Amino acid sequence: MLENFTEIEAKDILSQTKEYKKSGYRFAAMTCEHTGENFELTYHFDLNYELKNLRAVVDGKEPIDSISTVYPSAFLIENEFQDLYGLVFQGLIIDYKGNLYLTPDGPTTPMMKDKK
Amino acid sequence: MAKTVIPFGPQHPVLPEPIQLKLVMEDEKVVEAIPAIGYVHRGLEKLAELKDFQQTVYIVERVCGICSFMHSMAYTQGIEKVMNIQIPERAEYLRTIWAEVGRIQSHLLWLGLLADAFGFESLFMETWKYREKVLDLMEMTTGNRVIISANKVGGTTKDLTPEHLKAILTTMDELTVLLKEVDKVFLQDYTVKKRTVGVGILTKADAEELCSVGPVARASGVKYDLRTTGYSAYKHLDFEPIIESAGDCYARTVIRIKDLHQSIQLIRQAVGQIPNGEIFVPFKGFPNGEVVSRIEQPRGEAVYYMKANGTKNLSRLKIRTPTFTNIPSLLKMLPGSDLPDVPVLVLTIDPCISCTER
Repeated sequence: MLENFTEIEAKDILSQTKEYKKSGYRFAAMTCEHTGENFELTYHFDLNYELKNLRAVVDGKEPIDSISTVYPSAFLIENEFQDLYGLVFQGLIIDYKGNLYLTPDGPTTPMMKDKK
Repeated sequence: MAKTVIPFGPQHPVLPEPIQLKLVMEDEKVVEAIPAIGYVHRGLEKLAELKDFQQTVYIVERVCGICSFMHSMAYTQGIEKVMNIQIPERAEYLRTIWAEVGRIQSHLLWLGLLADAFGFESLFMETWKYREKVLDLMEMTTGNRVIISANKVGGTTKDLTPEHLKAILTTMDELTVLLKEVDKVFLQDYTVKKRTVGVGILTKADAEELCSVGPVARASGVKYDLRTTGYSAYKHLDFEPIIESAGDCYARTVIRIKDLHQSIQLIRQAVGQIPNGEIFVPFKGFPNGEVVSRIEQPRGEAVYYMKANGTKNLSRLKIRTPTFTNIPSLLKMLPGSDLPDVPVLVLTIDPCISCTER
């Protein structure tokens, strides 16, 4: 288990992120893993070299709130997950609509567990 | 005034790797920049899920051709943490020495590219000539010039003999003298300063807002250097993060030049203190658990997230490289700049696109 780990509801992603921003945390990274049925989204925030890790489990059917309105530097990673997992982030400050890395005629959602 | 969109890249003389910036221009001024990437996405994170966790060392070494060693360092450090492996102290020093040698060759490569970007060919050639000495050192100590394959889970694959350590110190002495020549030009030459001073300013507030890392952040006054957390042998070495405050192209150049001298000092300290002993500790089993491993690469903080489930394969490896997080800072620097300054400005974040796309 990750240190400083908190599990949250998907609906709380944006509000929790705003709290971290208010407390002076920087957005360090974001991870997504397809577990077969769901997607684990893990947000890593840093303050004074200490990481806090927030995790929300989503089913991928509903759009997820983009945190790029709070941390603009998150726009690339959220676009990456749109490409690689087929997730949809709503409110992205720059939205490549699934074509950050992949071309329209290229492979789709290559990071899903059933894709080899 | 009508706006024009100019595509900068993906193929451009100053870009060693492909990235496109769609520059929205008003006359000769940039008013907006939108990046387009995806030219070198290789799916390495997916490949890592399909390979044995020890084979993955060779995959992460190929995330980047410049900071190859440090990618494997971040990865092995993470796996060792999740498996509770304490590597020998000598291996920690070896990793630190090779990491700093790698930082020197990376910064020298960048200085040459910068000189090339503003058309100073002789400065470019001179800087890369010095870099050759460092690459020769890497070849002598490991057998390879760039991808040195010196890391494995549990320690290092190679040791440094007393002759190697002596040669490293000799090269550091030579570099100290040689660098004085190019330092003078990069920091005092009228033409160079004309192209860098006051160009592409990123304020401290913007650097913090955009979560900048590495020399880009430190040139804007953000004191953030992961080496101060004391991973590997850095906990035994005496140094302070190098900070500048102007946030312009010149400050980003100053940071890297001072970084070079600091790396030389760190190598001298590490070579002076390296203990005798083993370079590898044997272990059994497979990793199980989650971990985040971070290190300070030449371009800034790299974040490695690993999730293992007790089998030989990781269920997830996520790599967040420094350029990935510095692209938003570049988009902030570009508006307001003149078109001829764009190449120099783009280079000052030291973009590594292979790292970014993996």
